[in-house]
Amino acid sequence: MAHSLPSAPPSKEALALLRILVVAGEGGSAGGLLQNLRQWADDGRLTIDTAPDLPRAVRQLAGQRWDVVLAVLGEHPDDDLAWWVDTLRGATGSPRLIAVAPAPSMGLVLRAEKAGVLDLLSLPLRREDLVRALERVRSVAGETAVPLPVVQPHAVGPYALVGQSAAMLDVYKLLARVAGSSATVLIQGESGTGKEVVARAIHVNGPHASGAFVAVNCAAIPENLLESELFGHEKGAFTGAVTRKIGRFEQAGNGTLFLDEIADMSLALQAKILRAVQEREIERVGGGETIPVDVRLIAATNRDLKDAIKQGRFREDLYYRLAVVTIRLPTLVERGDDLVLLTAYYVRHFAERYGKKIHAISDRVLELLRAHAWVGNVRELRNVIERAVIVTTDDTLRADHLPDELRGEETTLADRPQGGLLTLAEAEARHIARVLSHTNGQIGAAAEILGIHRNTLTRKMKEYGL
Amino acid sequence: MTGPPPVRVEKALALMPELEALAPLRALLVSIARPDEATVWSSSGPYLTLGKRGVHPDELRRRMPQAFHRITEHLQVLFKGYVEALEGQQRGDAPGVVAALLRAGRLEEDVGRHTQARTWYEVALGVAEALQDRRPEVEALRALGYVCLALGEHAASARHFQRSLALAEAEFDQAGATAASEGLGEVAVAQGQWGGAQAWYSRGLRLAEAASDPPRVGRLERQLGVLARKQRDLAAAGDLLRRARERFEAAGLADEMARVLNEQGQLDAQLGRYTAASAAYREALAWAQRAPRDSGLELSIRLNLAELDLEAGRLLEAEAELRRAEQAAIAGNGIRRLAYIYTLMGRLRGAQGDETGFVFFEQAIELVRALPGSVVTEAQVYLAYGLFRSRLGQQDEARAYLERARELFDSLGEAVERERVDEELRALSA
Repeated sequence: MAHSLPSAPPSKEALALLRILVVAGEGGSAGGLLQNLRQWADDGRLTIDTAPDLPRAVRQLAGQRWDVVLAVLGEHPDDDLAWWVDTLRGATGSPRLIAVAPAPSMGLVLRAEKAGVLDLLSLPLRREDLVRALERVRSVAGETAVPLPVVQPHAVGPYALVGQSAAMLDVYKLLARVAGSSATVLIQGESGTGKEVVARAIHVNGPHASGAFVAVNCAAIPENLLESELFGHEKGAFTGAVTRKIGRFEQAGNGTLFLDEIADMSLALQAKILRAVQEREIERVGGGETIPVDVRLIAATNRDLKDAIKQGRFREDLYYRLAVVTIRLPTLVERGDDLVLLTAYYVRHFAERYGKKIHAISDRVLELLRAHAWVGNVRELRNVIERAVIVTTDDTLRADHLPDELRGEETTLADRPQGGLLTLAEAEARHIARVLSHTNGQIGAAAEILGIHRNTLTRKMKEYGL
Repeated sequence: MTGPPPVRVEKALALMPELEALAPLRALLVSIARPDEATVWSSSGPYLTLGKRGVHPDELRRRMPQAFHRITEHLQVLFKGYVEALEGQQRGDAPGVVAALLRAGRLEEDVGRHTQARTWYEVALGVAEALQDRRPEVEALRALGYVCLALGEHAASARHFQRSLALAEAEFDQAGATAASEGLGEVAVAQGQWGGAQAWYSRGLRLAEAASDPPRVGRLERQLGVLARKQRDLAAAGDLLRRARERFEAAGLADEMARVLNEQGQLDAQLGRYTAASAAYREALAWAQRAPRDSGLELSIRLNLAELDLEAGRLLEAEAELRRAEQAAIAGNGIRRLAYIYTLMGRLRGAQGDETGFVFFEQAIELVRALPGSVVTEAQVYLAYGLFRSRLGQQDEARAYLERARELFDSLGEAVERERVDEELRALSA
């Protein structure tokens, strides 16, 4: 007898027709899976097509739009999963992936979640598991559109300062006080909090505004090239010095030199910067001439410079020269509802850049954005919104437009059959995975945080397939 | 995170002397290097290169046994190969000796030790030359031809293939003659001599067809398709690639399907059909997944996909694809590919008018200089670097880098790319 899907009273969105591409060979357990799916699809709410393998599936994905790809993972489930996630990244209509594997390990489940896989189900496939996964796809259709709020950014050239939180209002006040002077400023804040935008704001509102704003990222430039980048060099000063080069100090003459990530500079170079700040003159590499420079210096770092001083990695005298005024920027999480304003600002900004008309974001998107940790702060948010705008084809930004990593956070405990409660093993595996991610896979450091011996941790990682 | 911060790769490598014995340690160090999460989102994140990644001494120490195991395993099979050669010698089986020595050479090539492979092949050739049966000699010469090609020694490579072809024809060894013709075609391609390459491939194709060897026929059709594309005969290229694809799909050759679709993608891109090109590359990746693991092939497809995005102005997608490729190249110690990836990253930053993009070219140059036989790659990096500087209006530096590229192409006898450099130099002077 054919089963209908699902057995609960259907809502409007639950009745939506789903197009599923099932990727499985006809033989073995996969054959049984296909037979079951065809039976379950008899209620007319699923359209099922099949592909025997990944290459043929890719062809079908290029030609038509699918809501879901249900893929049976092979002997190397981790590799297969990675390939599927990669393949669907470029597929029309961003179909969601339901992976199926015989007895998937806890580690595989966690990796699948992290990669944004809708669900990882066990073989033999149970109808109720599939129903639950498909309901999550259908629930996307039930997202409510929220109009984009009005945002009044403070323009800083091509950039903007956006936000009305108390933490940002403090920053604006300090910025207004320091901009009018020529004082050296040190901007501190986590990565992506907007240090360069604040530096630009100081420049455009200060006495050096008619001069150039020259930014140097000290951490990006190879150590052996940083000196010549800052101070310039004469032709033939070293191998590769093919022409005379004017350094950034000179380029910023009568303007502002912004030294970003200053803590990454070697002690030897710090001494040269100190001399330039104190004496207001520099020498090009390989040159004997002393060149006077008149620049306003703004430095920025995401590190704790006082801690770096204690460790002997940063010169104390340079710190006091730079930190005449210190501005600390808040993290995105500390900025509360600025998240919504920034989201609206970037949606409009990128919609204009990519020629899209987007008027709203869904409540689910807001929920996901609010729940995210934002390690990369505003820069990460900007990146997420840009990607989402690129893939959006309608006037509302929805959850399925967000990158896999954020969608991976959609997995909710309520979806669990046991009423949302984790087993002890699941909770342990998830916590270990979280700590390992925090330590970049460093087992020793993770074991220290977890308060267990590294051998115990290694054994548990093996047990959970992490 | 607790514990001391990781050591930057640029600093870690500066502490390591350039000794051959340390090459596996260097490879291990590179393969475990990774950015920390804070760096990824910092303002230097977009400029992250291998040198700025971090390594933990603790992790290096922990992974060392795996590296020792791989080295021991490699030496074991090499030594075994030698013992097999010795056994062949003992029982008077000289073709067996040659085969064992060639196997050992291939093992060296598989791990990227081309110079060592050449030494094995030379010993094999010495043995083969004394035999009445010339087929082992044909095979040894072919192996030498390919390894010299990989080392960028084009003249030596052509000489080996020529000799291999002459001997194969004298012996009525059709398969040997086809393979030698194919090799000569590849040398000509490497030198930018497309007319010569076409002649050699066509000759190989005729021989393969006569021998009813469908995989080789398909491969030669693909190579002729590539040449036709390079010579802008796009209709012929499309026809040749379609024929090759049909042949490979019927034979179920996943790796060849991946290769031919990779070429199809480039053809579609040249025709401005970006959607079709993207679909071809994605299908190529899917076939590569089914084929025996070939990280070089997969990376090549990914890089073409990234270049497609770059040309289509999809810079965000291009960057994401390049970063994925970078991770794969670093994990597999694919330094040559990594240099190409950084060249593309530099181009991408150039397209954004971002001067700090120069760091990618500098890193690429540093990487290729440490590789043997990488003059072509180095020349290509300088060419792209010159164009980057030119785009930013830094004409003097642009000229200096382009002239360096010309010098390097000249040293190889490379014709087509050199002509391109000359064009760019003329444009700079105009």
